[in-house]
Amino acid sequence: MAAKQKSSTLENIFHPTDYFLVSDIFPTVWCPGCGIGTVVYSFFEACKEKDIDRDDLYIISGVGCTGKIAEFLCLPSCSVTDGHIIEKAVHINEHHPEKKIVLFLNNADFLISGGKEFKKARKKKLNILIIYINNLIYALSRDQAFPLTPYMRTSTQGEFEIPFNIPYMACSIGASFVARWTPIRAGWMKQSFVESFSVKGLSVIEVLSPCLIYDANSGRILDPVERMAFYNDNSEIQFWVPIKNLDIRRQKKIIIGKFLDKNRINDD
Amino acid sequence: MTIKGQKVEVFVLKERCKGCGICVAVCQTEVLALSEEKNSLGYRHPVVINADRCLNCGLCEMFCPDFAIWATIEKEGVLG
Repeated sequence: MAAKQKSSTLENIFHPTDYFLVSDIFPTVWCPGCGIGTVVYSFFEACKEKDIDRDDLYIISGVGCTGKIAEFLCLPSCSVTDGHIIEKAVHINEHHPEKKIVLFLNNADFLISGGKEFKKARKKKLNILIIYINNLIYALSRDQAFPLTPYMRTSTQGEFEIPFNIPYMACSIGASFVARWTPIRAGWMKQSFVESFSVKGLSVIEVLSPCLIYDANSGRILDPVERMAFYNDNSEIQFWVPIKNLDIRRQKKIIIGKFLDKNRINDD
Repeated sequence: MTIKGQKVEVFVLKERCKGCGICVAVCQTEVLALSEEKNSLGYRHPVVINADRCLNCGLCEMFCPDFAIWATIEKEGVLG
């Protein structure tokens, strides 16, 4: 692990989350209005609520835009090439079993290169939290469609297959906590992070993040506020929906909410 | 606005801002507006217009992707 830059001390803390961040690296590398910053903020708000200190965490991130998260955290963290991310988590778990391991993943790490590897997480019975940031496109390689892009959205021929169902896949891996949120519901998202800290086993939280590149091909680039409003209008909160009905399709509202929790006491 | 006799203050770090305007759209009591002048990166950062109206709800802090804005109840001699 490379040596970090100047760490946060009491003198250069300004923002309430600056305790967890490296203070030299601002402004951040992401596009204006990207949802990743909000996810990072609400994750550390959840850490504060649970009294989790910097040394109790180990954060691993992958490649691409999401991989930049590990670069500016003032706590044990690293970014790994895609396909080796669970291997790294297994190593960390062997050497520091007391630490909470958190993975910030994007499409390439979770679905494409590293998808097969997640069977290991079930075998090893890891105690990890996966935050999967899904922006519906390969942002850094421009308009390339990928298995979660809805019909006829970005590529010229369109995506012909039915988009992939992430919560269903998470259940087949053996997750014990599954939820899906968008950054516009930041308060709900923070509450899910808080609950997932007390769950044993694998917990997967999918975050549908607005992306600047997503609408570029259709000739209309929305400004950040409109893009956030797009996710607000096209999503609706429903709890405990049957997991098979959760794939994202065009001309249908995206269902967000909490879908699986092994800690839950059945009310009904 | 004062809450329990204490004043609420909004802080903006304008060099971190990228001018997305989410904080302005999210504020329910119209405290913020985008400025005319630009910061060193060329973005228009938010400025506080109606400081009296702030309710300390924390929405601008929650949605800001660049960790640039927050509001607190003012304490003596302590920033943030």
